[in-house]
Amino acid sequence: MALIEVKDLAKAFDGKAVLKGINLELSEGQAKVVMGTSGCGKSTLLRCLNLLLQPTSGRIIFKGEDITRPGVDIRKVRADIGFVFQHFALYRHLTVEENVTLGLRKLKKMKAKEAVQKASHELERLGMIEHRGKYPAQLSGGQKQRAAIVRALAMDPAVLFLDEPTSALDPEMSREVVTVINKLFLENVTMLCVTHDPFLAKYISDSIIFMDEGMVVAEDIAERLFYDHADARIKHFFMSVIDHR
Amino acid sequence: MDAFIQDLIAYWPQILAGLKNTVLLMVIMSVTGLIGGVGVFYLTLSNHKAARRWTNGFISFFIGTPLIVHLFLMYYGLPELGIRLSAFTVAVIGFTLNVSAYNARYLATAYNGLDKTELEAARAQGFTERETFRLIIVPQVMRMSVPSLTNQAIQNLKDTSVAFLIQYHDFFAQMQEIASANFQFFKAYVTAGLVYLALISIIVLAARRLEKRIALPGLAT
Repeated sequence: MALIEVKDLAKAFDGKAVLKGINLELSEGQAKVVMGTSGCGKSTLLRCLNLLLQPTSGRIIFKGEDITRPGVDIRKVRADIGFVFQHFALYRHLTVEENVTLGLRKLKKMKAKEAVQKASHELERLGMIEHRGKYPAQLSGGQKQRAAIVRALAMDPAVLFLDEPTSALDPEMSREVVTVINKLFLENVTMLCVTHDPFLAKYISDSIIFMDEGMVVAEDIAERLFYDHADARIKHFFMSVIDHR
Repeated sequence: MDAFIQDLIAYWPQILAGLKNTVLLMVIMSVTGLIGGVGVFYLTLSNHKAARRWTNGFISFFIGTPLIVHLFLMYYGLPELGIRLSAFTVAVIGFTLNVSAYNARYLATAYNGLDKTELEAARAQGFTERETFRLIIVPQVMRMSVPSLTNQAIQNLKDTSVAFLIQYHDFFAQMQEIASANFQFFKAYVTAGLVYLALISIIVLAARRLEKRIALPGLAT
């Protein structure tokens, strides 16, 4: 059974359709990347999947439960989905360690000592332990994103969503973050990642979903999608993004 | 010895009592005004349109009308409706409402400078709106508002002298008494001014220390 199953998902803003009947599946241990032109609805899709945005219609089955039906405990669902943002979204008044422990203490109801232990373990895992006492403003972009990934992972989510995790970073920092996400991929962390970055997409995914104008156009492995696809839109997209790197 | 100095010594117990009343009123209204300000600010973020409208109406009313009107309304107006409150109670209520409105506006201004992706991150993590407010918004907007809140605390101290007009025996009322006792108005008011200046300097120094203490490394507050 898929961990996440999306059926005919649609989202419109003021009558303008942004997602038009999306169907996709993500199984436990699987990592998929969503790519597509700007404005094709990738980020909206991600936000609908953890109900930061309310879908207009369609169903999202998460761990066997339809989370779009009324009466669902949205907090519980969100706490089970790690979310990493393009611009890091670290709480800037808290240190890296406090950013990680806040959710553990307040949402998972861990004791302070237990939360710090868990945070230390996760920070160590992603090479951030030496920055535990720093505030976000004292970190480089790559370190901020790694801290944001640690914050999400520390909650032991069933799935990790990443929304353009390298878009706000320069190439060097981007490489640093790709390495971290690749490590998670190799550890079979379930992930759904939205990105424009073909380098990231190639190294962290089992398959790539290509979206255009609010629809899923294709889903395939990176090699076939990047270099050898029959669809002209896909060919054109990947020729442009790969040539520009 | 100068007659004025002699009066100051003679009236010293009353002056001290007045000073105590002034500082007491200032501290109380600063604390209640801060708590009220946070509460009013919370309501300005409400999802309910009516709550937001009423709250903005409250802020506009108290910022848009003179403090003395609120105090006179409660002290001299309410007895006509059979409600009689002491000068101290009127001062505390009147100042709290007024200061809450100002503080709420300062906090709302600071909120506009907050990175809203942090709020989205908090929602995505599973925090409720109330938790997000308490854990993410308040600690940040309070930090950013320290200069404005300090100015308000200074204003609070200066405004305590208005309470004299509703028979509250504050420091200024005592100085007024000395001044009228032997018509040494100039010396009395200069002395009063110097005392207010000294008290305000203490507030400014305390605020500077607080600002340094809560400053986030790598970020200006």
